[in-house]
Formats: sequence, C-alpha cells, structure tokens
Amino acid sequence: MNILTIPLRNIRRRPSKTLLLLLVFSLGVMSIVALYQVSLVVGHSLEKKLTTFGANMIISPATEKLSVSYGGFHMGDMLVDVQSLPEERTIAAIRSIELKDRISAVAPKLVTMTKVNDTAVALVGVRWHDERGIKSYWAVRGEFPSAPDQILVGSKASAKLGLALDDKTIIVGQDFTVSGILHETGGDDDTVILMNIDTLQALLDRQDATSFIEVAALCSGCPIEDIVAQIRQQLPNAEVKALQNVVNQRMASVQFVQKLALSISLVILVTAASMVALSMLSAVNERKKDIGILRSLGYGKSQIFIIFCLEAGFVGVLSGVVGYLGGFGASFKALEFLSLSDGVSPVFSVTHLLLACAVFGFITIVAAVYPAWKGAGVEPSTALIAL
Amino acid sequence: MLCAKNITKKFASNGSVVPVLKEVSVDIAEGEFVSIVGRSGSGKTTLLNILSTLVRADDGELYYQNNNLSTLSESHLNRLRQADFSVIFQFHHLLPYFTVLENTLLPFMRSLRSVNKEAVQKAHQCLDRVGLADKADRLPGNLSGGEQQRVAIARALVKSSKVLFADEPTGSLDKATGKQIMGLLSELHEEGLTVVMVTHEPAYAQLAERIVTIEDGLISSPADRHFFL
Ligand SMILES: Nc1ncnc2c1ncn2[C@@H]1O[C@H](COP(=O)(O)OP(=O)(O)O)[C@@H](O)[C@H]1O
Ligand SMILES: [Mg+2]
Repeated sequence: MNILTIPLRNIRRRPSKTLLLLLVFSLGVMSIVALYQVSLVVGHSLEKKLTTFGANMIISPATEKLSVSYGGFHMGDMLVDVQSLPEERTIAAIRSIELKDRISAVAPKLVTMTKVNDTAVALVGVRWHDERGIKSYWAVRGEFPSAPDQILVGSKASAKLGLALDDKTIIVGQDFTVSGILHETGGDDDTVILMNIDTLQALLDRQDATSFIEVAALCSGCPIEDIVAQIRQQLPNAEVKALQNVVNQRMASVQFVQKLALSISLVILVTAASMVALSMLSAVNERKKDIGILRSLGYGKSQIFIIFCLEAGFVGVLSGVVGYLGGFGASFKALEFLSLSDGVSPVFSVTHLLLACAVFGFITIVAAVYPAWKGAGVEPSTALIAL
Repeated sequence: MLCAKNITKKFASNGSVVPVLKEVSVDIAEGEFVSIVGRSGSGKTTLLNILSTLVRADDGELYYQNNNLSTLSESHLNRLRQADFSVIFQFHHLLPYFTVLENTLLPFMRSLRSVNKEAVQKAHQCLDRVGLADKADRLPGNLSGGEQQRVAIARALVKSSKVLFADEPTGSLDKATGKQIMGLLSELHEEGLTVVMVTHEPAYAQLAERIVTIEDGLISSPADRHFFL
C-alpha cells in the first residue's frame, strides 16, 4: 500500500469507464502504430518502385579534362586518357559494400560512336535485364532484343538512320536486325542504338570494358552520401557521383508518405488525448469528496495532482501495450489489404513496445495535467461539507 | 494548545457578503473536551473548519502549540493534518473503494513508501478498540453509519492525533448508535485526547467540559452550560 494504490484502485473502481477509455486510447495507439508500420513498408516499397524509373548514382572512370589553348587560341577541351572500367570487377566491388542491401540495381554500359548508313550514331551496349530494371518506363514497338545480333533503336535514331522494325543493317562490319523501336522517352535513349554489351565488347575487342555504370540505391534510412563514400572506398580509381536531384525527389515522395502518416497520427493522438482529458475531468468532478477526504488527511495539492496524473498514466501505458500489439497485428492486415504484403514486412521490437508505453504514458499524463490541476485545487472544506 | 484570536470569516452569497464569524476567539487547552453549539447556520462548522485548518480565516490568528498557523506554509499544514489533527464529519469519511483497514491507513499512503507493518498492526488494534476488528476487510458501503463513524475515529487513533475535530458526529445516527459514538469520544478524551465537537444534541454537549455557543457570528457565552436547559 502506497500512493500508487490510490490511482490503481480508482481505475478498478470504474471498470466500464476505464475499459472504454482504454479501448478508445488503445484504438488510437493501434492506428498510430499500424500507420507507422504501414508507412515504413509503403515508403520502402515506393522507393523500390521509384528506382525502376532510373538510377541515382553514376560510376565512371576517373578522367582528367584539359583545356587546351595556344597563343590565345582556344582549341577546346580534351579528355586525357579515356579509360574504361573493368565490368566484372567493378560490379563485384559495388555489390560488396557494407550497405549492399541498399543497392537495388546495377546497370553497366559501354558507349561508342560509329557510323550506320553513313550517319554518325552512338552505340550503347547494355545488360538487358539490368537496364530494364532501372528503365521500367521503356516501351517498344516490336520486341526487346533477345539474341546477340538484335538491336533496339531509339525513336529519333530510327528516323535519322532510316531504320525500321525488322530491318537489317551492318554495324562495325557485322549484321544486325532491328527487333524493336523504342518509343520516345524524352531522354538520351531516343538518339542511340542499344545492343547487348557482350556483343559490343566483342565487336570493339574491348572485352570486359564499360564506359560507365548506373546504380540505383535506396536512400531511406541512410544518406546516399554514405553509399557513395563506401563505393568510392572500393573503387578509388573511379568517379562516383550521386544524382542529387533524383535522390531528393525520391526522398521527398517517400517522406511525403511518412509525413502524411505523421499528421494523421497527430490528429488521432490529439483526439485520444482529449478523450483522456475529458474522462479525467469527469473523474475529478465525481471524486471531489474523495479529494476532500485525502486533503483532510494531510495529502497536499501536489499529491492529489500526482494521483490523477498517475491514474491517466496507467491507462496510457496499458493502452501502449494493447495498442502496440494490436497495431502491429493490424499493420499486416492493412498491408495485405493494400496488396503490399510481399517483400518487406513490419518488424516486431521490444524496444518499440517499451517506447510506445513510455510515449503514450507520457501523453496521457500530459492530457491529465489540467484535470489533475483542477482536482488539486479542490478545497477540502467545500468538498466535504457541501452535501 | 489551540488558540484562535479574532477570527473573521465572510462568505459571498448572491452578490452580498455575509459575515459568518465576527472576531471570534477561542482557547482550547490540551486534553480539553469542548462542545460548540448554536443555531443552524450560525457558523459552527465554519469555526470548526478554521480550527482544523481546512478553511483559512479572512482575518485573525490561529495558534497551535504556540505556532502561528495563519503564517504556516501549505506543507506544514499538511503535516499537521496528517499527524496531529483528525476530522470527523457527519458523512463522507471513507473512500468507498478502500477496505476499512485501508481507510484507516490512508494517512500513511502519501508517498511511494509502503505502509509499514507497525502501522498495519496498530490499525488492527485501533479497529479492535472501536469494535470493528471483524470488519477490517469490508468495504465502507457494507457498513452502517455508526460503523463508518467509528472507522474515522479508529483512523484518528492510528495516526495518534492530538486533536479530534468532530462536526455533528451523531447527526446522521440513531440514538443508540449516537450514544455509542459519544461514549467512545468521552473515553478517548479521558485518555488524553483533545476533542472539539460541534453538536445539536444538548445531552451530548453536556458531556464536554466546556460549551462554546455561537450566536450571530459571536461567541455569546463561553461557559454557559445552561444554554439548553
Ligand atoms: N462555502 C460557503 N460559501 C458560502 N456560504 C457559506 C459557506 N459555508 C457556510 N456558508 C454560510 O455561512 C453560514 C454558516 O454556515 P455553517 O458554518 O455551516 O453553519 P452551521 O454549521 O452552524 O450550521 C451559513 O449561512 C452558510 O450558508
Ligand atoms: Mg454545520
């Protein structure tokens, strides 16, 4: 028996009211926990989806640009020592960084200039599977190349070179068939011819060479700078660049989901806390006589205040437990409902459970501050004498 | 021991200020049994509440063991209410969801420290003293008015109060029960407890050593034992 006995007994004394309050607050906590869990998963899966719309990092050979001028005559910039990256080693290095889980796609490319039908055009060798992983927006007339001697032609290139679907053409002395024409993308892909990188490497006799490698990384939870730094460490001779605008755009989308969840949570929280405050206020009014008795027995205002705060705090902590467990379960249902349950799923954590108890206990205590203050202000005389 | 000097108390009612106590002075000696009598609405309860520190006077001074209570801090007053002073009201003494035993131990539950064994033991003894030993685990709702009154008295005993304030302790009881309670109060007074009691019953007022009569907010006759005769 100590001061805690009093609020605990009060809670037990009004089982239906306590249960109702517990229910309301637990539901609030549950929604918040579920929302949080769902927003994490949705954010993650959204980001994953966004990576299929392009890379957010580019890895290229370190180059030095030299501005050449002589006697005041500018002769243009010149790339000193155009290098290439060894494909296999570079990709292995990228895939081996500490944050390798955050790397969702690696797409190597070999680029060269050539003449087709007497017109200059860029040839780009790609790994079809990886490339399409970061270019989900690609649409083709015809089909994506499946054989080494098939090529995909950008829409502008196809017009310029006069290449139509199923046409045959000679590139660097070898026969190729146009298996597909890329619909206009608005990007660089419109003006080039794409083919299998192995074929191009063989054609140019540059086995294992890549001009640059595009990487799509997931950046929620860790800054892209960390990923960049880790790749740099693995590839000291390469230039690793993050496409900040792409990164920022994606993070904004992911954060939007989280911000939305946060604002809804806040509304729920305020509503639930108001319910607690209201209930405590009525409890104080109901128990004015009890307060009077306690005050006449030497309980100070601060002790009355603490008793009511603790009473609310108990409800908060209990709701934290019930709500967290409920919300955790509900998040699975919600994800199932949103058909997002594949892949990532919510992770149960005891730390989070304790955190939820602490946070919601604290919030209910804060909500009870005003009622408790009212209770502390009850004069023993008026409470006991007024019949 | 307890001394009130020129106590003034006014209440605002319907916009006008009504003086209830006009410079009332009383002096209560240690171990004394004082009855406060007077017509209904004359201010008996108000005076008792001021003496027991539950109400602050508008003006005047209150001394307890030569300490000026009017200037004492709230926490000092709380300590006084917890230990030295006990109040018995006409109704409402007990928290309805605490057992009889727990109710007598309420003054010791003010902190995180658990009520110690000695206090529990003493509570049992005091309940035995007021004849409620077998009802220690009951809830107040199952007790008669007289029994509830006795729990409040037992509580005063558990905390070894020096002064017991009682506001019409028999007011809601039948004659026989009222007599029992009064018998108990007389006994405790004989054992050294200071008792200040407001009562309507002339017979009970006579049990006191001294009767204080309040009339028109003033003490009319400090020692008039023949007021009711
Ligand atoms: N809290 C209060 N507010 C306003 N008036 C009060 C209050 N307490 C007492 N009074 C008034 O003061 C007068 C004396 O009250 P009280 O001390 O209860 O008298 P008694 O106990 O002698 O019947 C009454 O007229 C009552 O209406
Ligand atoms: Mg009265």
